Amino acid sequence: MNSISIPKQEWDEKLIQSLSSHEIYAPLENDFSCDYVKLEADTVTEIVYNKPKPVTPLKKFFLPVKENVTSIAAPGNPVAIIGTPNCDVMALAFLDEIYLDQEYTDPAYRQRRENTTIISTDCLSIREHCHCTSYGIDPTGNDHSDISLAVIEDQVILTVHGPKGEAFIQSLGIIVTVEPEKGLMQSLGEMHSSVLEQLKEQNKGLPGYEETGKLISANGMESWKKYASTCVSCGACSAICPTCSCFLLIDKPGFEKVRQLDTCQYPGFERVAGGEDALNELPERFRNRYMCKYVWKPEKYQLKACTGCGRCIETCIGQINKNELILELSK
Amino acid sequence: MNGNLYKPLKFELTKVIDESPLIKTFVLVPEEEFSFATGQFIEVTIDGMGEAPFTPSSSPLETGQLEITVMKTGYVTDHMHSMQPGEKMGIRGPFGRGYPIEKFYDKEVLILGGGCGFAPIRSLLYNLIAISDKLRKVTLCYGSKTPEDCIFKPYIQELRETPKFEVLRSVDQADGNWSERVGVVTVLLDNVNMDIKNSLAVVCGPPIMMKFGTMKLLEMGYPEHNVYLSMEKNMSCGLGKCGHCMMGKYLVCKDGPVFTYDEIKDQPHIWN
Repeated sequence: MNSISIPKQEWDEKLIQSLSSHEIYAPLENDFSCDYVKLEADTVTEIVYNKPKPVTPLKKFFLPVKENVTSIAAPGNPVAIIGTPNCDVMALAFLDEIYLDQEYTDPAYRQRRENTTIISTDCLSIREHCHCTSYGIDPTGNDHSDISLAVIEDQVILTVHGPKGEAFIQSLGIIVTVEPEKGLMQSLGEMHSSVLEQLKEQNKGLPGYEETGKLISANGMESWKKYASTCVSCGACSAICPTCSCFLLIDKPGFEKVRQLDTCQYPGFERVAGGEDALNELPERFRNRYMCKYVWKPEKYQLKACTGCGRCIETCIGQINKNELILELSK
Repeated sequence: MNGNLYKPLKFELTKVIDESPLIKTFVLVPEEEFSFATGQFIEVTIDGMGEAPFTPSSSPLETGQLEITVMKTGYVTDHMHSMQPGEKMGIRGPFGRGYPIEKFYDKEVLILGGGCGFAPIRSLLYNLIAISDKLRKVTLCYGSKTPEDCIFKPYIQELRETPKFEVLRSVDQADGNWSERVGVVTVLLDNVNMDIKNSLAVVCGPPIMMKFGTMKLLEMGYPEHNVYLSMEKNMSCGLGKCGHCMMGKYLVCKDGPVFTYDEIKDQPHIWN
C-alpha cells in the first residue's frame, strides 16, 4: 500500500473540521502519563503521536466495563481513534476472533467496530516493559488498522489499509495525494531500526511466544505457588490487558442482561451450582491466566493472546513482573 | 439464531412435576417455535434473578413444548422450585454440540447416568427410541443415592417395555422395598453384556461419577473415542465469549458440552 504525506498543520485543520461529524479520540499527555481523550478543537494539536502507549487499552472502546447487552443504543456519529500502538491493534484483531465470530457475532461489539476507524501510529520510541517484538509484532506499520500513521518533520505520513480508512480520508477532504519525500522515508526507516534495536536490547533473553507457552506448560504447581505469593487476586492485570475479555452476565428485571467485564483471577469464576470450582485456589487462578494467554487461547484461535504491551507489569500491586517470571522459567 | 443473542425467548410454565424431594421437571411452552438437538443445552433466565444452563430432558422431536429437569442446588434453582404454572421463564439457545446420533447407527449403546444426569439422558433416549430400528440395543445403567432419589419412574417402566432397551438401576443406600442393585452406579457395569467392539458409551452425571464411570468403561475396553461425556462447567453466555466454561483449549458451551474422552483427556480440571 502506498503512503501519502500531508503537512501536519493541514492534517490538524482537517481533524478540527471533522469534529462536527466524528467523535475522535487520541492520546493526550496528562500529569501522570498519556491516555485516550475525546478531542476538542483546542486539543487536536496536542495529540501524542509515535509514542507507546496509552494507559488504557484499546478494548475499552469496544467492551465497556459494564453495559446492557439486551438494549443496545443506536450508533452515534462515526468514531475515529488516532494514535493506537500496534500491540493494541493486534489485540483488537484477537478480540475480533471472539466477538465477531461468524456463528455468534456479538451485536454491541459489532456495532462499535463497524462505526469506528482505527488509525494506528508507528512507535518511534519505547517504554519500559514494551516487548511486542519478542512476540513477533512490529511496532511500526500495521495493515490490521484502517490507516497507519507516522509524524515526522511536520509531515503526517499516512498509509491507508482498507475501505474504512479510505472513507475516513475522503471524509477529511484530503484529495491531493503527495508521496512522502524519499529523505523523509529514509529518516523514518532509521527510526524504525533504532526502535527495533532498543526493544531487542530491552528484552534480551526473553523467550518468544511459542517458547513461553512451552515453558509455562512444563512448569509445576509448586513454582506457581511461589510466583503467586504476592498476588491478591485484584484482577488489575486482566482489567488493563488488551486481550482479556471475559465477562459476567447480570440479570435485571424485564429479562434484561448487563455484561460486566470479569476475570478468572476472581474467586468463583468457574464455580458451578454444585459447588465444584476448578480455580478455587489462588495459585490455580494465577496459573490459569498464563496458560490461557500462552497455551490455550493461541491453540484455539491461532492468534497471540499476549501482544507484549507490558501493562500488566506496570499495574500489578504485588509487583509481579511477568517478563522476569518468564525469564526465570527459561533458566 | 436470529436477533440479539442475549435476549431470551419467553416460555410459559404449564406444569411442574415432582420427580424426587430435590428434583422437579418444568414443562414449558414457547411463545415462538423452538427446537434443539439432543445433548445441546439452553440458558434459562429467571426474570431479574439469574440465568443457569440446563440440557432439556424432553424429546428433541417435540417442538411444541420443552421440559427441563432441575435439581434444587443453588440460587437460581431454589427460586425455580418455588415457581407455579402460569409464570414465565426466559430461554436462550440451544447452544453447543450435542450427541452425534448418526454415529450410534448399527451400534450397541451403553448409557451410564447418575442423579440428575438422567435429564439429558432421557432426551437422548427419546431420540434413540425414534431411531431404534437403526440400533442394535440400548442399555441404561442408572444410579441414584436412594430409591426416593430415582427420577422418571413412570418413564423407566415405559423404557423397560420397549424392545431393544434394557434398564439397570442401583442406589447407594437401599430401603426395604428396593429390589434392584445396591452400590455406586459403576457396579451395574459388572452385569452388562455388551459387544464392546460394536458399542458406544455415554456418561452423564455428577463429576465424581463421570470420572469413575469413564475409568471403568476404559477398563472394560471401550476406546477413548467411543466414550461420550456431557460436561458440566459454568456455561454462562453460551456463545463462546464470557470464558467461564473454559476447559483448557475448549469452551464447553460452544465446543461441547458433549465431548469424547479422547478429545478432553489432556485438558485441565475435567472432573471438577
